[in-house]
Amino acid sequence: MIRAMRQHLIRPRLFWQVLSVETRKLMAYRFDFWATTVVSFAVNLGIAYALWRAIFDASGQEEIGGFDFVAMMRYYVTVLIVRRLVRVHERQRGLSADIYEGTLTRYRLYPTPYLPMKYAEHLGGLLPAVVQVVVLIAAVLLVAPGDVVARALAALTPGALVMGLGAIAVANLLSYLLIVPIQGIAFWADNVWALDTMMRFLASFFGGILVPLALFPDAARAVVQWLPFAYLYDLPVRAVTGQLGWSEWALGMLAGSGWCVALALIGSWVWHRGDRIYTGVGI
Amino acid sequence: MARYLRLYAAFLRFSFSRAFEFRFDFYFRVAMDVIFYAVSLGFFHVLYRHTSNLGGWTEAQAYIFVSGFLMVDAIHMTFFSNNQWWLPIFINRGDLDYHLTRPVSSLFMLSLREFAANSFLNLVLAAGLMAWAIGRYPEPLGAGRIALFATLLVAGAVLRYLVRMCFIIPVFWLHSNNGLNEINWSLDELSDRPHQIFYGATRLALLTVLPFGVIVSVPAHALFGAAPWTSALHVAAVVVGYFVVVVAWWQMGLRAYSSASS
Repeated sequence: MIRAMRQHLIRPRLFWQVLSVETRKLMAYRFDFWATTVVSFAVNLGIAYALWRAIFDASGQEEIGGFDFVAMMRYYVTVLIVRRLVRVHERQRGLSADIYEGTLTRYRLYPTPYLPMKYAEHLGGLLPAVVQVVVLIAAVLLVAPGDVVARALAALTPGALVMGLGAIAVANLLSYLLIVPIQGIAFWADNVWALDTMMRFLASFFGGILVPLALFPDAARAVVQWLPFAYLYDLPVRAVTGQLGWSEWALGMLAGSGWCVALALIGSWVWHRGDRIYTGVGI
Repeated sequence: MARYLRLYAAFLRFSFSRAFEFRFDFYFRVAMDVIFYAVSLGFFHVLYRHTSNLGGWTEAQAYIFVSGFLMVDAIHMTFFSNNQWWLPIFINRGDLDYHLTRPVSSLFMLSLREFAANSFLNLVLAAGLMAWAIGRYPEPLGAGRIALFATLLVAGAVLRYLVRMCFIIPVFWLHSNNGLNEINWSLDELSDRPHQIFYGATRLALLTVLPFGVIVSVPAHALFGAAPWTSALHVAAVVVGYFVVVVAWWQMGLRAYSSASS
């Protein structure tokens, strides 16, 4: 039993080594690394600002779905930052590339399990993301008016910070586990990028990146709560912005963790089935 | 001209036969675009629950605008996207050599040789969506204006291709355009929103040098606005300007190109 479990575990030292190699690799391409994040953040925030300014002006309302304009902007800043920490690689095609290119063969010879090793690579993207997030937050604090910053900081209590970090950790794992079964379909299909892109569209909409889930119709919100996407972005954002009590947070964490377990089982099953039909040439 | 048409017909035949060889990819791409269409419509549906007007447009007008950018996206995916995906790889690997020796324009060959048959089905779906959005519009729009709108959307799709080329051509000098690609994809999101929501220098830039507002929003403006021909001239001027720049820049790139294959 213990031996069987060990087959699915990776040694902590190796896990750390893989993680640090990936971190250094990402930091090496500095222009891509910074340009991608900064432009994406600025464009998305600029669009959100223009869009919601137009909506607030046209509707004449002070508050929409519980958000005034400042709270709405704070939501978008937070969700864009949370997205950077949760989905650390913008396009995650490493697993399917290993299948297509036959590099999976090499990993089959290593005395360590493949999927945890790839999770170490996934986490390797987290440290550069944290560096970027710190810079982005500093830039926002410099640009935003003082009263807006004061309001945002007042909501960020130690409790909110703890809940937010916990929710981001679960969301990061969930983000990885969501792509594992999809990438595993590469054992049978010639190309899975369309599935990965489809998942990104769904996560953006039902996770609350495009528009806060609080603005959805009640019936849609009731359904969305049962999907994994709400635990990717919506839960961490509500935790960080102080909108969650401990009991609501604990329930959300339980649901997010439940999705992690379910997706880990599905992913493991898909990879086990795929592994049986895999043929690769060379190492 | 006839030679180019014959060549394009051959591209179509190869593309359809290849698409049916990779059936999973065919179905996945159709499903992906259907999800994209649903998400785009859902997004505007949620927004219009909280306002009756966005950038001067009603919900019915916004749905026509959305169907317009889905149409432009489908045209781009069908005719240009795969080719633009491969272009930087060809340049870096030295595969451009094979195309430079052929007796046709290299830009034509490399931009249009791969027709995405799987996205063609989505083009049909997007056209159906546009017919639905126009059909449910509460006032008569007039056949002339609808024809002008459709024509300007095709021009918008060409403009999207030209803008994208401006982010690809630097690969002749930089040898990697991953960062530029990502920047382009980020900026491209500006074309999915009505240009009227932006103000000042941002709006001016979106209507001229970074013409993401010209791709769909100005054509929609031609459909609903008081001066459709002014909008049409605006789109035509930006497309022609960008075409001249891209062709000249491509020639410069070819002069800087040194084969990596031999």
